[in-house]
Parts: sequence; structure tokens; C-alpha cells
Amino acid sequence: MAKNEAITQRKKKEKKDPVNIIAPLVVLAIIYVGLEIGLRVFDVPAYVMPTPTNILIGTIKSFDIILPDLLFTIKIICIGFCIAIPAGIVLAALFSQFDIIVKAMQPVVIWLVITPMITLIPLMTLWLGTDPNLRVIVVIIQATPIICLNTLNGFIHVEQEKLEFAKSIGASKFETFIHITFMNALPQVFTGIKLGCIFSTIGAVSADFVSRGMGLGDRIIKFLKYSNFEQSYGCIVLIALIGISLYTIVSAIEKRIVLWKK
Amino acid sequence: MANKVFSVKEISKSFGSEKNGNYMEVIKNISMDIYEKEFIVILGNSGCGKSTYLKILGGIESATTGSMELNGENIGACIPPEKLKKFGFVFQNNNLLPWRTAEGNLRIMLKIMKLKGEQWEKRIDEMLEIVGLLDYKKVYPHELSGGMKQRVGIARALVHDPDILILDQPLGALDAITRKMLSYELLNIWKKTQKTIVMVTNNVDEAILLANRIFVLSNKPAVITHEIEVDIPVEERNTMIGQNARYNELREQINNIIRATR
Repeated sequence: MAKNEAITQRKKKEKKDPVNIIAPLVVLAIIYVGLEIGLRVFDVPAYVMPTPTNILIGTIKSFDIILPDLLFTIKIICIGFCIAIPAGIVLAALFSQFDIIVKAMQPVVIWLVITPMITLIPLMTLWLGTDPNLRVIVVIIQATPIICLNTLNGFIHVEQEKLEFAKSIGASKFETFIHITFMNALPQVFTGIKLGCIFSTIGAVSADFVSRGMGLGDRIIKFLKYSNFEQSYGCIVLIALIGISLYTIVSAIEKRIVLWKK
Repeated sequence: MANKVFSVKEISKSFGSEKNGNYMEVIKNISMDIYEKEFIVILGNSGCGKSTYLKILGGIESATTGSMELNGENIGACIPPEKLKKFGFVFQNNNLLPWRTAEGNLRIMLKIMKLKGEQWEKRIDEMLEIVGLLDYKKVYPHELSGGMKQRVGIARALVHDPDILILDQPLGALDAITRKMLSYELLNIWKKTQKTIVMVTNNVDEAILLANRIFVLSNKPAVITHEIEVDIPVEERNTMIGQNARYNELREQINNIIRATR
């Protein structure tokens, strides 16, 4: 029993260790103060980079203008992301059932990952019309392949011994997939999803840049046109925050589920 | 004479085909009768095909020719899935599922074999108790030592109450001290559970300590060259066995056989 307690105690310690939270905050504060001082001392013009305080003030002042675009971008990213995760995993699961399909599809998926979706957006506007909600499709096409690729990688690299174990206990093909192959790939699935966070954000903002009219990407350009550099930078920070929040949420879920990694 | 539980008739296994020139005969015409509560040890040099033979007994592979008989019923060249419940397989390097706790590793057996109910739940605890790891129920494999992992592996192979326990070099991946300790423990487990056990090893001392009968295999293609009855009573098998005259006699005999094997 003593050992058990020791382990739970260690886990609790890891969770509550304040250094993990304080250290990044300190770095953030140093960057903030450093930029503030540096930009003022060297008299950097606002169109190169406004001081952090001015960015903060400008953004808060214009927040009522930014808010609808912020919500729109969050909506696009979240919907796209939520469709891309199951799509990527299901596709990978289907591909992994047959060696020949893995061999055939892997280059295609890699090709899809590499192609920057921003190049396709003008064409897609042409095919699909200009409804801003269609930007979800850009996010899906951008995020699905990377999730699929990582998941597939996990699905096809299962130790032979684990499969032999499944065989020795008479597990069906489906049971083997659920209990062995999928669980074995779970860390890689999460890597894929985390990369998907980044790709979704990139996809949504590039769609804004090209299609215009709505979204944080569009708002950045609008602010720039009227020389509102503080607000432009504010939007960039907000976009980064969306990405970071998604990433943090996924990491937190991963830590709760993938307990067997040191 | 005790009941014949399992018998193997003229089993052979080959890989490849003569046409492609990669034909390889791994085991050849192996026959053996296994009686209830017997501890059988198969000795052979590494790479002689003894693991392949065990994989056939464990239902992981099928034999090329030959047949097997379980409780007097002919089951052909491959153990059918519904009969796998009668066997428990212990792998060389524990082969625990890292994403499941010690308890979870035992539970998956019951789940896949569809053994539900209170008595099976209780059996999980009983088996962990037998291998002395009840306190480590909720611990993940990566937090356990090599010997402890292997003990969970043994508990896992026993949890569904199989008739025959198959051990594929269960102590092979352990350090010398743990190996010694675990071999005595294996002896105790056998005494306690009264199972029929078939074990493969390449360690003569271990073989004599544990076995009722020892089969010595030749190198590839493996055939049984010797069958040795170990007539040391169970009561005399303990840490003092090294002083037993019969033990040393057998040891000498088997070592000579193995030296002559090629």
C-alpha cells in the first residue's frame, strides 16, 4: 500500500508544482517589459512595432469592432477542427485496414499536408461561392491530412508481439483494433490533433486573407489600411491566443487520457 | 496414470516455399502427450524453433501439418478461437499493454473472453495476490520493475482459469538474481494453482528445478532428441536443490546432451 500512496503523491506533486505555471509567466513578463523598454529607447516607429502597452490599450479600445470577427474566427476554427479530428482518425482507420491502401494513400496524404491551402482558396471561392461560413471547408482540408497522417503512422506501427497477444486470447479483428491498435496509436493521435490545432488556425486566417469580408485575418488588413497598427497587432495576438488555447485544451485532455507515458 | 489433457501429434511447421528457394523447415514431427498437472519443460538452443512450437500450442500460429488433441477432442492444426480459453500464454518480455494498469491487463482477458461476473472480478485480485502484486493493482507497467512486470504477465495468463499454462522463456529477459527468485516463485505458483504447464527455456538448472519431464530439441529443424523424466519429488525442490545428488546427476546428463546437440 505504501508504494501506491507514494505514486499518487508523486502524481499530485507533478500536477500542483507551481514552477510549471510561474516560469512561463515570468518569461512572458520579461518579454513584455523588455519590448516596452527596447521599443521606447530605440524609438521604433509604430508601423514596425507598437509597444505592448499601446497594443493592449488600442485593442481594448476597439474591442467592440474586433469582437464579431474574433467570434467568427473562433467559430470557423472550432467547427472545422471538430470535423477534422474524427475525419482524420476515421480515414486513417480505414486506410490502415489494408496494406495496399496504406502504400497508395500515404504519399497522397503527405502531398495534401504539404500543399498550402491558401493557394487553393481563390479557386474554392470560385467553386463554392463567397459565403464566409464555407471557410470551415478550408480548415477541414488543412487539418484533416495532418491528423490522418500521424494517426495512420500510429496505426501501422504496432509491435508484432501485441498483435500476437491479441491472437492468443482470441480477440476479433475489431477488438484487436480497439484494444490494441488504437490504444497503441493514441499518443500519435494526440500529436496529430495538436498539429491540427496549428493547421486549423493557419487555415482559417489564410481564408480570411483571401476571401475577406469577415474574420480576424480580414480585420488585420482593415486596421492596417487605416494605420491602426496597435489594433492589427492586437488581432495577431488574439489569433495566437486562439491557437494556444486549443493546444492547451488538447494537451490537458491528453494528460488525462495518456497516463502511461512518463 | 493421470489424465491426458493435451496431445500433439506429428506437428511440423515450415515457412516459405520451395519454389521461391526460401523454404525453411522450423520444426519437424514433434509429438508429445501432456498429462494433467504436469510441468513440461522444453529445452533447446536459441533459434531452434522452440518459440515457434509454443506459438502453435498457444494458438498464435498454425502448424503446417499434424494435429492436436485437447481433452481427447481433435482440434486440427490450429487451436480454434473458442478453445483459446483453455490456454494461458506468458510471453518472453512480459508483453503487457502499457496503457492498462496491472489490474487492467488482467481485465482485458476477461473482457475479450467474455467472462463476466463477480467471481471473475474476484479472481483478478486472487491472481495478483498469488504473484504478490495485489498492492500494485492500479500501477501502470512502466512503473514496475522487470520481474514485477513478468509476474503480472503470469497473473494475466492465469486469470481466465486456463487448463494449460504456456510459458515462452518467461525468465529470459530478466537479470540473474531476479531470474533465480522468479523460478522458485514459478514453482510455488505451480504448486498453488495445480495447472498443467508447458515452458520453454534455455536454462538447464531452471528446467530441472521445475519440470516433471524435459524434452530436448535439436537445432533447426527441431525434433525431439531426448525425453528425460525428472524424478525429484516436489518436496525436495527448494532453494537447497543444489545439494541434491539426483539433481546434479541430471544436470550433468542434460548438459552433456546439450553440448552434443547441433
